[in-house]
Amino acid sequence: MKKRAMPLSSIVLALLLGVTACGNVTQHASEAEDDIVTYLEPNFFKTLYPPSAGFYANGGVLNQVTDRLLYQDPETLELSPWIATKLPEVNEDATEYTFDIRTDVTYSDGSPLTAENVVKNFDLYGKGDKSRKLTSSEQITNYDHGEVVDEDTVRFFFSEPAPGFAQATSSFNAGLLSDATLDKDTTGFAPGKATEIIGSGPFVIEDEQMNSSLTMKAREDYDWAPAESEHQGRAYIDGIKYVLAAEESVRTGGLVSGQGDIARQIEAPVEKHLQEQGLTISSHSTNGVTNQLAFRFRDPRLSDIRVRQAIIAGIDRDEILETLFSDSYPKANSVLSSSALGYQDMSQYYVYDPDKAQRLLDEAGWVRGEDGIRSKDGQRLTLNINEALPQPRSREVITKVQEQLARIGIEITLNPGDQAAQDADSKDINKVQIRHTMVGRADYDVLKSHLHSDNRDSLLNLDEETGELGDPELEKLLEQIASSPREEDRAEASAKAQRMMAEKAYALPLFEEPQVYGVQPYLEGFEEESIGRPNFYNVRINHDRLEESQ
Amino acid sequence: MTARQLWLRIGQALLVLLATYTLAFILLSALPSDAIMARYASPDLGLSSDEINAIRAEYGADKPLIVQYFTSLFGFLTGNFGYSVQTGASIASMVAEALPGTLALAISAFVLACIWALLIAVAASFSRGLRGFVLGLPSLMVSLPSFWIGIILIQLVSFKLGWVPVIGASPVQSLILPALTLSIPIAAPLAQVLVRSIEDVERQPFISVVKARGASRSRIFFGNVLRNAILPALTIAGVLFGELVGGAVVTEAVFGRAGIGQMTVNAVANRDTPVLMAVVVIAATLYVLINLLVDLLHPVLDPRVRRKERA
Repeated sequence: MKKRAMPLSSIVLALLLGVTACGNVTQHASEAEDDIVTYLEPNFFKTLYPPSAGFYANGGVLNQVTDRLLYQDPETLELSPWIATKLPEVNEDATEYTFDIRTDVTYSDGSPLTAENVVKNFDLYGKGDKSRKLTSSEQITNYDHGEVVDEDTVRFFFSEPAPGFAQATSSFNAGLLSDATLDKDTTGFAPGKATEIIGSGPFVIEDEQMNSSLTMKAREDYDWAPAESEHQGRAYIDGIKYVLAAEESVRTGGLVSGQGDIARQIEAPVEKHLQEQGLTISSHSTNGVTNQLAFRFRDPRLSDIRVRQAIIAGIDRDEILETLFSDSYPKANSVLSSSALGYQDMSQYYVYDPDKAQRLLDEAGWVRGEDGIRSKDGQRLTLNINEALPQPRSREVITKVQEQLARIGIEITLNPGDQAAQDADSKDINKVQIRHTMVGRADYDVLKSHLHSDNRDSLLNLDEETGELGDPELEKLLEQIASSPREEDRAEASAKAQRMMAEKAYALPLFEEPQVYGVQPYLEGFEEESIGRPNFYNVRINHDRLEESQ
Repeated sequence: MTARQLWLRIGQALLVLLATYTLAFILLSALPSDAIMARYASPDLGLSSDEINAIRAEYGADKPLIVQYFTSLFGFLTGNFGYSVQTGASIASMVAEALPGTLALAISAFVLACIWALLIAVAASFSRGLRGFVLGLPSLMVSLPSFWIGIILIQLVSFKLGWVPVIGASPVQSLILPALTLSIPIAAPLAQVLVRSIEDVERQPFISVVKARGASRSRIFFGNVLRNAILPALTIAGVLFGELVGGAVVTEAVFGRAGIGQMTVNAVANRDTPVLMAVVVIAATLYVLINLLVDLLHPVLDPRVRRKERA
């Protein structure tokens, strides 16, 4: 009988040998004849239309293939010339911007980057084109039109002061594209069309396997890096292989086994493990609105400031950060990151004090029931929080908040559902009373993007039914930030807004959200731009270290 | 099968497709939020409600549901699948990119599953000592979730042993682990049905007659038993196709493989109704075709069915 069982084992053995025959095919990703860096992304890009490219995966592509008028230093956040030859001339009320531009720049299809083309770019990004389903950029406000002054000068006009415009021109959301690319409609920027997206950047999209991988090649004649950059000319590496690896275990395993060179979105618990394996962890602040819980103060329960203050005093942020995160996630002291423009330290308003929390709720008339949850006039103190799916460990954060607030008698529920459901529910105050969110943008305007009723309106300040604002004073401050022509006034308005957010207990900042990358030790020069998207221009492979690591 | 029966089956298949399409449309419309909200109300864009409403009108999403239904149905009937709302990509090109990969995965997983099922059936029949263990295998295999098998295989075979790369793999290499992953849960019910029906056939009187005529054990098994036992397995194979599509969703997501499965995951997450309708129609068409094929194969494999039809 045993003998007859042999065919089975022989076949299994043969199959195993067959697999082994393909064996040992793995090599370090950058070991091929060209210096190609394999970049592992948790998501595939959704669109390469710059104004809509805020999603991490989109920015990760556009940042490599497009240049901008100005360059923003990711550390100091200072602006400097790039395609513009100097900083723009701005009129007194910041309604006119004049840029001198380089005349020696070409797009990867050979077409020249001209003054007409620059105006065409901003006319589209500033106003959008609904017939082509292309939206305007959130960052370019009050845009009226652009004009070609002469061969190397362009001027942009705004209906209201637009002091954030200079910074907006430095973002990948204002990446310059060729005329032919700008003529496309929304379908032309979609997955499957990536190779047709023509920029003037240091890399060119050469091949796309839809929803799977992108190959970008270094542009040989690239010679217009930002003036501030020490490195000029062609990129050091020959290209980037952008590979979708949605599973976190695949990204980290890919790094450890050497199949990938860089991976984005390394979760906090894995950082230490990767470092032990000799990999580098690179994290960069997203320089804008911190990861926070925003309280919808128009909700009847949250309209009492004592309830909001009690929530703030009842949440132990240190415990959350120690349990769930790493050093890459610094505790937030304001609604803005400490590295953001206009930051003010408001930490005295965000102190953990559970006794104070209990007292505040008692004073507000919320009485504990049999199950420990408070109620008042027959209404339970139950609040729903959205799960911020793109943000790190949102569900775990909310679970910790749930546990901590239950101790002071507040019941927290987690809003179920995928991204679409979360987005829809977050616009309804009856469904989501506390919004878990953040916004990345390195300009004063980021507070307006976060809170203004025309933008994300994270606090749901505007009652859409009545058209009334819950707090018109806050709205006014936000408008001052976005439309005061002088930088000092913007900084002052931003400081006032941060103070108001703290004094009125409108939000609890949790941590300064970073983008965290795992990087092979033999890769040098990897940087992130000002809101944490990868920048491969200065990356080079140290072949000696590469050999050592094998 | 007569020509009339064939036409009847095709008519039935078309009805099934229309019913599936309608049901899917109703169910997707009943979900909270929609594709336009999922894309344009995303906080990343920071658009105001007025701007979003203008875009809704541009997409025709403000029209009554019944008008949207017939517009979309007419589009499908005329071969115009439309565009993904989430990304703006043409659905026809998305399908053209995704379908070959998924078919390659499904077919290779199915072939592997048949091999596993046959091996189990043969082992159960020939090795009496291991029979208990072998018979337990299908229950074990069916209880292993695909995503778990996938991750274990990736970690062990690719990252630890380095036998086959997962990242930057060639088309053939990139098929090995996903096909293996998908084949395991598919093989289980196949093996179970095959083993059971082998037992049934072995008890049939004609087997005793063949034995009495002195045929060898393996000749009886491969020549008589297996041939008769394979029919119920063939029927279940048609049904299992649905499992293959479902399994492909998970497998493609774990392996980051472009395909219909991954397309479905993205479309569901973004309420991308036009893409989902295309997926439903493709899956339903394939399902109907495979089952039609199984029905047509029956008379070829079983002379009794042929005779009955002639009579």
